[in-house]
Amino acid sequence: MMKWNWKIAGQAGEGVMVVSRMVAQLAKRHGLYAFNYLEYPSLIKGGHQTGQVLFSDKPVFSQQRELDVLIAFGKAAFKEHVKEITKKTIVIYNQNAGDLTAEDTNDCQGKIINLPLNEFARRATKTKLATNTVAFGITTAIFGFDKKVSLSLVSEAFVGKGEEVIKTNHAAFMLGYEAILAELSPLHEFKVATDNQVITTGNEAVGLGALAGGVQFYSAYPMTPASAAMHFLADQQKNYPLIVKHVEDEIAAINQAIGASYAGVRSMTGSSGGGFALMVEGLSLAGITETPLVILYGQRPGPATGLPTWTSQADLQFILRAGHGEFQRVVLTPGTIAEHYELTKLAFDLAEKYHIPVFIVSDKYALESHQTWQQPPTEVEVKKLSYMADKDLSADDSYLRYSLEAEDGISPRSVPGQPHGLYISNSYEHDPSGYATEDADMTRQQTEKRAEKYNGLIKEIPQPELIGPKDAPTTFVCWGSTVNVLKDLVAMTDKVNVIHLPCVWPFPSNAFIELAAKAQRLVMVEGNHTGQGEQLIRQETGITFKENLRRFDGRPFYAEDILNWLEQ
Amino acid sequence: MSNITQQSIQSPITPTWCPGCGNFGILGAIKQAFVQMAMPEENLVVVYGVGCSGNMADFNRVYGFHSLHGRAISNAMGIKMANHKLKVIVVAGEGDTYGEGLNHLISAARGNHDITVLVHNNQTYSLTTGQSSPTTFKGTATKSTPDGLIEEPMNPLTMALAAHAGYVARAYAGNMAQLINLVKAALNHEGFALVDVLQPCPTFNKVNTYQWFQQKVYDLDKEGYQPYDQRLAWEKAMETEKIPVGLFYHDPSLLAYHKHLSQLEKQSLLEQRAEKISLEKPFQAFV
Ligand SMILES: Cc1ncc(C[n+]2csc(CCOP(=O)(O)OP(=O)(O)O)c2C)c(N)n1
Ligand code: SF4
Repeated sequence: MMKWNWKIAGQAGEGVMVVSRMVAQLAKRHGLYAFNYLEYPSLIKGGHQTGQVLFSDKPVFSQQRELDVLIAFGKAAFKEHVKEITKKTIVIYNQNAGDLTAEDTNDCQGKIINLPLNEFARRATKTKLATNTVAFGITTAIFGFDKKVSLSLVSEAFVGKGEEVIKTNHAAFMLGYEAILAELSPLHEFKVATDNQVITTGNEAVGLGALAGGVQFYSAYPMTPASAAMHFLADQQKNYPLIVKHVEDEIAAINQAIGASYAGVRSMTGSSGGGFALMVEGLSLAGITETPLVILYGQRPGPATGLPTWTSQADLQFILRAGHGEFQRVVLTPGTIAEHYELTKLAFDLAEKYHIPVFIVSDKYALESHQTWQQPPTEVEVKKLSYMADKDLSADDSYLRYSLEAEDGISPRSVPGQPHGLYISNSYEHDPSGYATEDADMTRQQTEKRAEKYNGLIKEIPQPELIGPKDAPTTFVCWGSTVNVLKDLVAMTDKVNVIHLPCVWPFPSNAFIELAAKAQRLVMVEGNHTGQGEQLIRQETGITFKENLRRFDGRPFYAEDILNWLEQ
Repeated sequence: MSNITQQSIQSPITPTWCPGCGNFGILGAIKQAFVQMAMPEENLVVVYGVGCSGNMADFNRVYGFHSLHGRAISNAMGIKMANHKLKVIVVAGEGDTYGEGLNHLISAARGNHDITVLVHNNQTYSLTTGQSSPTTFKGTATKSTPDGLIEEPMNPLTMALAAHAGYVARAYAGNMAQLINLVKAALNHEGFALVDVLQPCPTFNKVNTYQWFQQKVYDLDKEGYQPYDQRLAWEKAMETEKIPVGLFYHDPSLLAYHKHLSQLEKQSLLEQRAEKISLEKPFQAFV
């Protein structure tokens, strides 16, 4: 396995994130696998930003600390990352940001090459905005990528901005490309390859999965890290019978989605913790009215506004318990970006079949990072689930929406517009026709009817997955995005395997107990302070963990750190 | 397909409102309006708020949605966008609409969503046994304001005008004939419509009684008032000495929200639900 780790650091507004994505795309177009991780503050201009791409001839899923190449746009950008520089690291420093002093470079073991990046940009385009394009030229040359591919990526990035912009950016690219070749010879030579991969963020994969799941209505209020799912889908309105509504608040978001779903279209909303907190009463409404609903939940560190642009897994117990009263829900926790696609598609079927809310729980780390994944089939089918057909609605108006004769609690629904399907969808407890009731028997029976959905769901949810050698001495357990890091760990050592939970509710107890029983040493890994996944496993299986790794500083885990921990 | 009749819309449940409640008049009037409009029963959706007013949910046999307190408008907007061929009407109290859920009222009006919002304005929170509401008069002593309410009452009509509502009316539960006509016109107006209905609550509101209203209300129509000038509508809506009822403002030229959406040009979203979906196009952006 060959792998390279590239990083770029600068100020917000310097185009760091754009070029980072382009580098990941460039690797992909050479038949490689790539992961692109972005860090940025909650600011529009100024503040430290980084993009880092790990790429390899074998699948990679997470970011790595030790760098092969660092491009630093300024002094702060350089100093911030000195610890990630090793003897083999090549550092490209933008000398227009002020020369590095001996003191600055004291701790730097790598080879520093000073280049006037801003000046190159100005020379080619008259402004320093193209500094990131210069950096792209440098990157292409260092790794020996095909510059034709890079130049076409530059053209794609400026599509619609006019020929002149593309031409001058090509010139900026070439200045960087040639300047670095005068300093060193390429580390490698990559050939263009046709691949059958796509490269997307988690948000984009969720958006694609929603389209594959037949989404027709998405209402939301912007909140990092879920906003980009709304942006992606808003753009798709031109291609699909889909309405994306940026609403006045998250309460409206969930309630409009519930309204649209009641009227018969597959509906979804999305937010982060603060926004979802406002949706909680609506969640309960979906529960009692038995209205299908898909919710994207992008975690970021709280409490309250917390760290808006960083990552976290600290909302699990909130999601499991949100909503007053008791009702069924499914909580999907996709790991890889491909899994974000698959599980979002599945979420729509489960929601529609069982008339329940289904969560896709992710976080800033997975939703805003890019990963390469196998392109799935582009032609998909969407079934109609748990509806009354027109012909089955009897002319004597005897249809009962909340009939107690319901297998696994599923009573097929009618939608407005269907003759003889009239009923009231009720936030009050109700009888089989939907009219409000306070009758003790009926209350108990309707509660039990809704609870029975569990029996069907437990057979349909995605099962825990064992990754790595079966008899490894250490088994790490994780849910959600953390599996990306642990997959890379498994590639580094044969001494570990991983149990990944792509669904935490209903909890797949039998399968989990079976896998855990084979483990020699169990270690829970999750991104919160209180061990929320651990609590859930203990509650559902009685299994306790003697060891755990918890991270709650807004940063993702690193496979290298876990390997070090293991070796100590 | 059969049209709504007085019999067809009758639910098996007898209204549970207090004797003399203004809600009876409103219920009678909207049923009349539906019947007179000769609407197929499956093409109407009534979304109810939570309050004495919202309890009407049990008294009508329609496609209904009994929402949360404050959220009926949001559900209604979602329903309308999903299937704009339905007639969608919201029935809710003023606590629901002007208090808990005011944000949604403003958004629905600004977006000119084609829904009719009928507010049972009884100037009190009745279902919760008599606290002050957003339209309770300043100084009124209620259970939650024993020393008298400090706030000024809000004016729903000027608020709706400021939010660009294209149909703004006030009715009185004691004048059925006018209420029927206003509800019909509101439902026929393709766009957002607010009908604020003054509703006596004999149990908890001892100030704004039938007698009080009888002396205060006067009919705009009889004055020869023309409802096409926003400034004039604003002036009329500011009157408090006497209370004008009728249609304050109507602009039929405004384009409804769903008419702006090219994806709804030919069919409703619901009608366009597909069994086979191609993802060819969106995936192209990620190769
Ligand atoms: C979120 C929420 N808060 C409070 C309540 C309790 N509640 C029920 S009805 C109501 C007020 C009713 O007043 P209004 O909307 O004017 O309707 P009315 O009963 O006067 O017809 C309140 C506060 C509730 N159901 N939900
Ligand atoms: S409390 Fe008032 S509003 Fe409620 S039913 Fe009785 S009279 Fe009507």
